[in-house]
Amino acid sequence: MPSLIKKLESFTGKFESPQLAILRSISLFSQIATGELRTIRGLLHQRTYIKGEIVFDEGEEAQAVYFILKGKVIIRRQGMPIDSMIAELGDGQCFGEMALLDDSPRMAQVRAAEDCVLDVLFREDFLILVQTHSQIASKLSLELARMMGDRLRRQTTSGYIL
Amino acid sequence: MRNFREGPRSITWCLIIVATCALLFLFQKILWLVVPFMLALALYHLLSPLSKRLIVAGLSSSFVAAILSGAFLMVLGGTLLLVYPIVIANIGEWQHTMTRYLNGGSAAIEAGIASLQHEYAFLRKTDMSGMVRQNLVSFAEQFSGNNLGNILFTIAAWMPSLLLAPVITYFLLKDGAKLRKFVGSSVPNAYFEKTLYLLYALDRTSRLYFISMLKLALIDAIFLFGGLWLLGVQSPLALGLIAAILGWVPYIGPLLGCALAVIVTATDFPGNISLIYWVIGLFALLRFLDDFLFVPYIVGKSMHIHPLLTLLMFFIGEAIAGVAGLMLVIPILGMVMVIGETMEIIFLDTRLRARHAYANRLHKINASRDFEVHQI
Repeated sequence: MPSLIKKLESFTGKFESPQLAILRSISLFSQIATGELRTIRGLLHQRTYIKGEIVFDEGEEAQAVYFILKGKVIIRRQGMPIDSMIAELGDGQCFGEMALLDDSPRMAQVRAAEDCVLDVLFREDFLILVQTHSQIASKLSLELARMMGDRLRRQTTSGYIL
Repeated sequence: MRNFREGPRSITWCLIIVATCALLFLFQKILWLVVPFMLALALYHLLSPLSKRLIVAGLSSSFVAAILSGAFLMVLGGTLLLVYPIVIANIGEWQHTMTRYLNGGSAAIEAGIASLQHEYAFLRKTDMSGMVRQNLVSFAEQFSGNNLGNILFTIAAWMPSLLLAPVITYFLLKDGAKLRKFVGSSVPNAYFEKTLYLLYALDRTSRLYFISMLKLALIDAIFLFGGLWLLGVQSPLALGLIAAILGWVPYIGPLLGCALAVIVTATDFPGNISLIYWVIGLFALLRFLDDFLFVPYIVGKSMHIHPLLTLLMFFIGEAIAGVAGLMLVIPILGMVMVIGETMEIIFLDTRLRARHAYANRLHKINASRDFEVHQI
């Protein structure tokens, strides 16, 4: 009986698989409906990074936004000592979201603080989403604007936007 | 990190041209696969806007891919089923019409030769006009017996591979994102963003090429329709459209289009040599505009290829793979250029390579972490 309910929920679009539940934990996707989350999942690239590996460098041309499914990353100015990090991000957080807006260079280096699993949304995929699924794109954009507003408010202490 | 928009260096350009030539040489051997793939790419870019609209309307991408490619297949099959009995029923009449038009064409050639013979004495000794007339009339009379079977056989032989086009289109529409994810997953982390950028750039390049080819055909058709209409030639729209579509085969296509218009003019306006010269002049002007203005600036510029290189590559393509080379050289060059540019960026970026090497080292250390514990 529970499996039947699951099948029915899956059919009606309410059932969330463990992978979708992980995506749901990401703040940017908090307002996205389950069916819409499935559409986004179809566009995400999953990458694994080993502890110490560089995700991207400062000055690199930004092409994608990263979501942390598992693990931690540190954000810091390139070439500076490891303890001079700007921020440490963990499960459910995202970084490099400026890449969705333009192709300006990355403003800091991101490195895996422990073994990580990241989901990556490429800017071109986001632009396709804007064209084909405007409702999802507008929800994402709104969340993105909120997040950037929050970052701007905190900019006085950190001095950087990724 | 070097920006993508600076363009490849001279050594990379040389490698791009060499790779394009090698690919052309290879592709002419597997035209049965390359032609349906190119048709599928064109169809994919043509159907993409409609596909996006249907997805916006709420249909799934798999369903949209199935209905669009299925609809195309049905239209193609239906057209063939409709056209076949029409061809069989009218073939005799068409041959009669073709003979009439060829006679008209040969009469025009004869008149042209006669005027030349009138001007130049040494030409009077030869029976050029008789030879031309005899060849054209025998070609028209024996066409169905000698060539029709070969043409039908060639069409039948190409059908299975041409039917591949809608199948490939279906998978491109349905699994485009999956294909990108698959390619992306096989690339090391350090090169991941660059590789994805490359895939999108390839998609953009091929879309720009096919769109610019459609633009070119539209410009040619409007130009020819206007010109032929002003000259008073009958059926200017049909002639303009046929000549514009034939124009997709560089150099040979326009000649065929011009020959068709001349034959129609010569038959409908017998003895009006000056009108034939005007029609030839119109096609020559279009050729000039196409070769030195429209093709280099619309096709070449849309793909960020220098107009002079576009022109040069047409000659190289023709020398390597004939008509197929003429048609394939620019799209292949555009795609190889994007790949070459990205490869150059990756290979010249010591930081990216160092990051990849560092990640490998980290993986090795991680994999051998417990070795020393066992030795103790």
